[in-house]
Amino acid sequence: MTRKSRRLWLVGGCLIGLGTATALTLSAFSSNIVFFMAPSQVHAHPPAADRTIRLGGMVVAGSVRQQKNGDTPTNQFDVTDGQDAVTVHYEGILPDLFREGQSVVAIGSVLADGSFRASEVLAKHDETYMPKEVAEALRRSGKWDPRYGKPPDAASWNSMTKTATSQDKAAPQHGS
Amino acid sequence: MTHLPYIVAAYGMTIGLAVILGTGAALRLRRARARLAAIERPSRAERAGGVSAP
Amino acid sequence: MNATPSLAARTGTFFHRYANPGRFLRLGARLQPWLTWPAIGLSVAGIVWGLFLSPADWQQGDSVRIMYVHVPAAWLASSGYMGLAVCSLLSLVWRHPLADLAAVEIGPVGASVTAICLATGSLWGKPMWGTWWVWDARLTSVLVLFFLYLGHIALIRAFDEPQRGYRAAAILGLAGAVDLPIIKFSVQWWNTLHQPDSITLTAAPTMSTDMLWPLLVCTIGFTFGFAAILVARLRAAVMESRVRTALAMRRGRTETQDDAQDSGPDLSGAVA
Repeated sequence: MTRKSRRLWLVGGCLIGLGTATALTLSAFSSNIVFFMAPSQVHAHPPAADRTIRLGGMVVAGSVRQQKNGDTPTNQFDVTDGQDAVTVHYEGILPDLFREGQSVVAIGSVLADGSFRASEVLAKHDETYMPKEVAEALRRSGKWDPRYGKPPDAASWNSMTKTATSQDKAAPQHGS
Repeated sequence: MTHLPYIVAAYGMTIGLAVILGTGAALRLRRARARLAAIERPSRAERAGGVSAP
Repeated sequence: MNATPSLAARTGTFFHRYANPGRFLRLGARLQPWLTWPAIGLSVAGIVWGLFLSPADWQQGDSVRIMYVHVPAAWLASSGYMGLAVCSLLSLVWRHPLADLAAVEIGPVGASVTAICLATGSLWGKPMWGTWWVWDARLTSVLVLFFLYLGHIALIRAFDEPQRGYRAAAILGLAGAVDLPIIKFSVQWWNTLHQPDSITLTAAPTMSTDMLWPLLVCTIGFTFGFAAILVARLRAAVMESRVRTALAMRRGRTETQDDAQDSGPDLSGAVA
């Protein structure tokens, strides 16, 4: 029995040691583990001009400009984290989920004038999932505008699902 | 449905793997049970014979 | 120090009483149908519900349906490894023979669900994020989990003497458990492309109930399936090891006495 409890202590000690070592390593490399920098971080610590960074944030409502020259569209939009904003230039097709108010991650580098040239734009969706009717109902009722941030708490609209679908059934002229 | 190829690929992959793992486990269990039965029966008979022989 | 021997002893006795191989065979045979049939029923129901009856997401469209296979696979990848770590602890401290066999069987099944998690995640990421793969903390830590499974599978089979393989793999299995909290909290500790969890213990789910229910049914069904496959494989493994022991004993009786030991996990007690 003493051999068993000695082994238990040994295993426990090793695990605690390993866990501590991992935690220390992760916290030391924390700034490298983050997938993207926020605009305020970019302004606070401007990266070298040719260094590729990932810039993440929300697309500012009303800031999206698109131009078509030839095949590839040229896009310009502002990305914000609520404190600061960076203008992003991107040549190419934006992902399906791209819209005003959506979170995006742009991969590219900062130009001399402080704007950002992206070689790739990824859409980051949030953890909220809701049917189209609910999103429509929220928008119609004025409770949420997707262009200005996250939807309200799920508890506040879960009860709407039934009413929204029954409304749609009652008024089929709304459906396509 | 939008994005149909992606959905079909994801579900096909999952269901395919579940079927492979499930039937694999069932077949292995059946074979192991048969082999164990085949081995245990003669040895038991042998042991019983050994006791009653003298 | 005074309480620990009794804890170690009590835990050991508990597992030896309720998880000895012979008892496990009887329990497993009785348990099997109660795992298999709910697994098939719930998984089929959940998949049909998720694929055809649940609503599409307002911005992701139908691709949100990949969630109903991706999330259960992710949950099983992590909890399967949790099971592997528990088996490793039982093996290292109490030298429990059934825990060794269970660790051998969890490896391939866990690696498979982790592969499914990674592949379906990739298939979801391409249309939504615009990329198959990124090296963010969540995706990378799950890839590490996949490699831990592969390493465990290789290591536990790498030795001629099975006991040494069990010990070595158990150390890897336990050490790898530090990856589990990293996977879980990666989306909170660092900013990632992967979104945070929608379902947490501390807050209400940020998901429409019309999507939550099929997800729940799928998750329970897949979990039953994982357990059913594992129990079937473990029963087969116990039977196979009995066959090996019986063959070795017979060979020992007919030939010499001394080569009976070489095939021996300590399951011989179950045969005699």
